[in-house]
Amino acid sequence: MLEAVNVSFESLNIATLIPMMIAVVGALSILVIDLVKGGLNKSLYVMVSMLFLLLDLGAVIDAAGIFASNGTQIGFFNIMLIDGLAILAQLVIVVASMMFIPLALTSKRFHEFAYPEFFALFMFMIAGFQFMVATDNLIMIFVGLETASLALYPMIALHNRSKSFEAAVKYFTMGALAAGLFSFGSMVFYALTGSVEIHVIAQVLAADNYANIGYVLVGTVFLFASFAFKLSLVPFHTWTPDVYEGSSAALAGYMSIVPKIAGFVVAMRLFEFLIGSGVVWLEVVLYAMVVITMTAANIWALVQNDVKRMLAYSSVSHAGFVMAAILIGTTQSNTALFLYWALFSFTNLGAFTMLWVSRQKQLLPGQSSDHPFEKFAGMFSTSPIQASLMALFMLSLAGIPPFAIFWGKIYLIGSAVSAGYTVLALIMALNSAIAGYYYVKLIVYMFMKEPTLGEQNYMVNASTPLRTIVGFAAVATIFSAAMVSPLIEFIGAFVYNSGF
Amino acid sequence: MLDHILSILIFFPALAAVMGFIVHKDSMRAYGIIVAGIEFALSLWLWYAYDNTVSGMQFMEQLELIPAFGISYLLGVDGISLFIIIMASFFTMLGIATLTETRRVKDLIILLLFLQMTMIGVFAALDAILFYVFWELSLVPMLLIIGVWGGPLRIYASVKFFLYTFTGSLIMLVGMLFMAYFYFQATGQWSFNILEWYRLVLPENLQLWLFAAFFFGFAIKVPMFPFHTWLPYAHGQAPTIGSVILAAVLLKMGTYAFIRFSLPLFPDASVFFMYPIATLAIIMIIYTAMVAYAQKDIKQVVAYSSVSHMGVIILGTFALNVEGITGSVFLMIAHGIVSGALFLLVGVIYDRRHTKLMSEFGGLAHVMPKYAVIFGIMMMASVGLPLTINFVGEFLSLLGFYQQSHMYTLFAGTAIIVGAIYMLAAYKKAFFGEVTKEENKNLKDINKTELMGLIPLTIIAIWLGVYPKPVLEPINNSVESIVQLMHEKAITPEAKKTIPSLVEEVEVEMEVH
Repeated sequence: MLEAVNVSFESLNIATLIPMMIAVVGALSILVIDLVKGGLNKSLYVMVSMLFLLLDLGAVIDAAGIFASNGTQIGFFNIMLIDGLAILAQLVIVVASMMFIPLALTSKRFHEFAYPEFFALFMFMIAGFQFMVATDNLIMIFVGLETASLALYPMIALHNRSKSFEAAVKYFTMGALAAGLFSFGSMVFYALTGSVEIHVIAQVLAADNYANIGYVLVGTVFLFASFAFKLSLVPFHTWTPDVYEGSSAALAGYMSIVPKIAGFVVAMRLFEFLIGSGVVWLEVVLYAMVVITMTAANIWALVQNDVKRMLAYSSVSHAGFVMAAILIGTTQSNTALFLYWALFSFTNLGAFTMLWVSRQKQLLPGQSSDHPFEKFAGMFSTSPIQASLMALFMLSLAGIPPFAIFWGKIYLIGSAVSAGYTVLALIMALNSAIAGYYYVKLIVYMFMKEPTLGEQNYMVNASTPLRTIVGFAAVATIFSAAMVSPLIEFIGAFVYNSGF
Repeated sequence: MLDHILSILIFFPALAAVMGFIVHKDSMRAYGIIVAGIEFALSLWLWYAYDNTVSGMQFMEQLELIPAFGISYLLGVDGISLFIIIMASFFTMLGIATLTETRRVKDLIILLLFLQMTMIGVFAALDAILFYVFWELSLVPMLLIIGVWGGPLRIYASVKFFLYTFTGSLIMLVGMLFMAYFYFQATGQWSFNILEWYRLVLPENLQLWLFAAFFFGFAIKVPMFPFHTWLPYAHGQAPTIGSVILAAVLLKMGTYAFIRFSLPLFPDASVFFMYPIATLAIIMIIYTAMVAYAQKDIKQVVAYSSVSHMGVIILGTFALNVEGITGSVFLMIAHGIVSGALFLLVGVIYDRRHTKLMSEFGGLAHVMPKYAVIFGIMMMASVGLPLTINFVGEFLSLLGFYQQSHMYTLFAGTAIIVGAIYMLAAYKKAFFGEVTKEENKNLKDINKTELMGLIPLTIIAIWLGVYPKPVLEPINNSVESIVQLMHEKAITPEAKKTIPSLVEEVEVEMEVH
């Protein structure tokens, strides 16, 4: 006879689940609305998503308040772990999502936004990412990751271009491979330690003093490869430019931010204890991978002919740059990671939104992609304000002070310096110099070249919500200097109190 | 208001630039002149209120920006930065007043006003990150000025300019972060405050590394041999206004930063690197002078001569004594006035003939006598004729280095002769002889607008050559305190010996009395 399992309701601590549940309920409500009355305008679904995201944000802020006063919360059969990292990552995820979803309100009609399912998938994806960051249970991480990814693939395909299908299938195959690697790696760790919780794994491994180092390495290799796929680290990045090219610019911008912050948080939980406990091999591999990712992606970005592909490689390079924080593994570097990514999300979403508002329905004559550099030639003479905004985002991405990313950059390089990674700091700085070239290349096209493709309307797709998002991103980019100090203090306290 | 005069000086042009978007393009030049005029008046007021007897920082402003990381908004001027700030506002005003560009004038003036903000910011900043912010930000307007209004190779030239300086300054940024970290190790607190960094004594090997990191940033900006290759392109392609500002003010950022950062922060490393850098400076002086002689384009002659004179500034700086450094700071002003004026003069002839090749000219003295006179005076000043502004600076710089090494100074001295050769040769080719080209016979002499810009520069070039004291004295006071600081901070005995202490001299004088 099995004994009845007695679980008191209080011990479940359901509060830890509220933010994700809000997103799930949001997704279900969208489906129900569609069921009751079809053919409603996309603006309704955008606003419904927005409302649920606002509620979600409120719940996360509430959780932040609880964390600040009571510390880390554990709940739901010890699966949920609401620590500082979980809260910070959820804040980035939800805020970036709130900046993304109004981008559906374009003045031109696009295929995907006609389907309410798009918005339902979107909310499911957010719930998935929130689950992924708010646990240290490998199985829960897997479930969150797959929920999010499986929702994301059809969102890409719904863009309904041949390249979108290619992108979705490519992303799906690569994602499936990564999922396989992840589950295999988790299996090895479970076999070694009898647990799927990262902190228990760490304890058990430390208790027997890493006796089975060979198996630990095998497990680490698989997990590492799986996250390298998700975070698009070289040489696992090959899908990134194609997937970004096939997606709409708005979704590409979103993909460069949200899935990655979720990946970073899990990588931080997993790899920092492994590096810290002396798996030297991992440190060497991670070091090499960080350097190669930054440098190689930068060099590929130099030769791109399409702005979106260039930005895809640039976001790979930025991800490599930020992975350095996980390699360094001090409180300062982990703070820098979140600071960098928060600042990066404004600028990068701004840049991709500028592409999105200029997106024409048909390809330009003689061009094979939506946003070739030639399209922006002479942009300044026809639409000076748009060109200046785009230039602002490019300068910020290049790390020109006092714009947003510069502050993340110096704080991150500063953390490398104070942890004794002198060469790494120098490589990071020099990579910013290489990156300067391709960002300036777009400025050169916009300001210094004559138009070659005839008159362009760079705001063809613009509507008030889109303009608002661009304006918001621009203001945040310019005046970021004022936000940095409170951000550092806030993030620093949360990261420190989570023990990272 | 005087308490915040530096903030006003920095942000007034930027605010005016933003408001300038609304001004109609036909009235934009007048607007630009008014803004730059007010700015210049404010900078003169700064000079008036400046206390000559104080050697330290004045008009300081402080505001914590990112306390957790030790970044603050910290401004101040001393005798070294005061005159460069005045010169920056002066040249922006002159540049806008004599602007002959007709394409997209409004954008150009807005960019110039932004550029002015960054220039003054660099020289007033006393926090390393704030300094870096303005230092990097100054690249953007210049990139656009060269790239939009430049010659046929403008895009190549502007991107080269941008990437070269950007790379150098990123290495410098790593150096700054290390410096802040060492400060953190010593005191337990992050700080980018330069004045607090001055109090930090570093072991010699760290000084050497940090000196090298800062050196890349500064040397590319100056630009020192062998990092000078971007400059001829930038000058060759830039519009007149771009060259004027570049030569007069932007290059001074590098030499100024040597005096503000490298010398007082790393005195032992400065002594260690004194001869290698002096060697580079001598190569720079002689080699670029010879290259200048080989040029066919009159603007390139001026550009290379400008690099050559920057070599003298570096040599004076690395004399590491009061005479040398005072001379080099004075020469920065002098070089700004003279090379700025020369580029304006080249612009005058380019506007008339749309060529800068010397072979196209000849006998211009017959057609444009006033132009020839002003060009002659400025050329003499550039060569370093006594009683002109350059002479004072060059003489003091070389005198300073003479105390360190006779041989090096001798070499550097020959460069002045080479300088005279190429300048006089260029002058001869362009101005003397018969008017050979038909197009040159009816050239109009210099007009009122151009005179308005050139006359003040000529007056300054002669006035400060005859009577440099009002400028030299505040510079000297501040330099003395820096040299004294270096002497006290130096840890190796040879550095103590190379950098003279000023206190002992004072004691000797007191004994005599």
